[in-house]
Amino acid sequence: MNFTAIKTKTMVLFAATIVVVNGFFPALWILFTSLKTENELLQFPITYFPRDPTLANYYQAFTEKPLHLFILNSVIVAGASTIITVIVSALAAYSLTRLKMPRRNLIMGVLMAVSMFPLISLIVPLFQVMRELSLLNTYLSLILPYTVLSLPVCTLVMASFFQDISPDLEAAAMVDGCTRVQALFKIVMPLAAPGVFTAAILAFVNAWDEFLLALTFLSRENMRTLSVGITLYQGEFAFPWPLISAALIVAIVPVCILIAIFQERVVGGLTAGGVKG
Amino acid sequence: MLGTNKDLSERTLGWLLLTPVAVLLAVVVVYPVGQLIYSSFFTIRLTEPWLGTPFVGLDNYVKAWDDDRFWGALRNTILFIVVTVPGSLALGLGLAMLANMPFKRKWPVRLALLVPWALPLVFAGLIFRWFFDFRLGFVNDIVMKLGMEPLAWLTQPLLAKLAICITIIWKSSSFMALVLLAGLQAIPKSLYEAAEVDGASKWLQFKEITVPMLMPAIFVALIFRTITAIQTFDIPYAMTGGGPGEATETLAMYIHKNTLDFLDFGYGSALATIMFIVSIVATSGYLRYTQRSAGRD
Repeated sequence: MNFTAIKTKTMVLFAATIVVVNGFFPALWILFTSLKTENELLQFPITYFPRDPTLANYYQAFTEKPLHLFILNSVIVAGASTIITVIVSALAAYSLTRLKMPRRNLIMGVLMAVSMFPLISLIVPLFQVMRELSLLNTYLSLILPYTVLSLPVCTLVMASFFQDISPDLEAAAMVDGCTRVQALFKIVMPLAAPGVFTAAILAFVNAWDEFLLALTFLSRENMRTLSVGITLYQGEFAFPWPLISAALIVAIVPVCILIAIFQERVVGGLTAGGVKG
Repeated sequence: MLGTNKDLSERTLGWLLLTPVAVLLAVVVVYPVGQLIYSSFFTIRLTEPWLGTPFVGLDNYVKAWDDDRFWGALRNTILFIVVTVPGSLALGLGLAMLANMPFKRKWPVRLALLVPWALPLVFAGLIFRWFFDFRLGFVNDIVMKLGMEPLAWLTQPLLAKLAICITIIWKSSSFMALVLLAGLQAIPKSLYEAAEVDGASKWLQFKEITVPMLMPAIFVALIFRTITAIQTFDIPYAMTGGGPGEATETLAMYIHKNTLDFLDFGYGSALATIMFIVSIVATSGYLRYTQRSAGRD
């Protein structure tokens, strides 16, 4: 009996170690790299742990390229598209769950189809549209497509939360003189706050991570988002790995903290979008 | 009477609330797709403006048919799909099974699945490019410790493809694992207890309970993965830039190159239309499946 208990415990610990190493190893390796001095980094054979940890690479990452602008650009683009996505998809989810809408499944189906649309196909015509509207190198050229990118999954997540709120609460509010739309923002949205939050995080991460559109629509260095800015750090002759590692850590850590705090909600939102279809 | 009136106004409000979505979709998706298909029938070369923009019918598609680089990019894309979709399913299922063990603290394991998911694709590409670096990479360090010669991971065509596949599988398996883990947790424990009583082995339990019960989640995860694999761009872009030569160039990269570097919008549009049609086929398969399962509910 005791032996089986120990065996199970070891196996569980072993399983946890594999999953944790698989998940964190690349980020940890980059963290170690970012703390190494340039000399140590070019040493051969390579070292694993930084012998003489330094923050010099972080300082350089900010001074050699406008990393602070990349951060600002990412925050503006991801933040604005998240806010718009949440509002627009809240309205849509409400319409699809609480009002007697015909062809509800069809509308949901169209939304899902859009979410699987190949972005690369949109890039050619969108580039032309943005060029004609002189929107290239503006935040708007990313905010608009990012909003659409996250609309389907956000609508789905919020719809599943709205469904669980009793219609009686709304009815009561409307008897007290609220209009439907007021009831949505004063009663339903606050009650569905976890859902709204989940949707917001998913939309934010989507926008924060996007690369292809950002690479295409923002060619001016000062307008670049983090994903593009860091990828294009490379100098004329070589990859400045110490700087890139430091910049990567700067870009990854905020999102990691965000999902660490809200992990249960994020997992719930992801699987609602994935499993329920 | 009153009831129908209320229904009517509810319906109006319903459509009204859907208007913002409809407008956004029209501007960002529907109009551009129309423009895309339209442009694919014209010659639009910004590098040669004196050509004008004449209508050329299917010429751009014929050009694709005769374009070896297009077929190469298509072959690479198909290779990445064929290798990484089953690959990330296998790794994802493995991770999900491990993560489904009875842990006292759930958060380290859950976070370990979330971090790769939240990591931008292009960053995964950058990090693994560093791993596979010939001289200073972690992978070749291991290879040499095993007593072998270091491998030219990113400059030898076959190895470069392998390195990219490994990176894609690592990056995409965590989302796979999260979806499958949710599926695993939905399987009633009583099934396993009953099988245990009947003396079924762990392998038999896996084959006869886990796999069939997990089938819907596996199917959804596979379709999602396939659709994103069709669009593979970020990871090869960051790791090899399509090289050596065009050995790891995908369809998405070739479309991007034609449009943004060669400024050949007509040809780029034709290639993008081909990709669009392929995706539609994959998506409709997915939709047919979900609509069917929605009908079952």
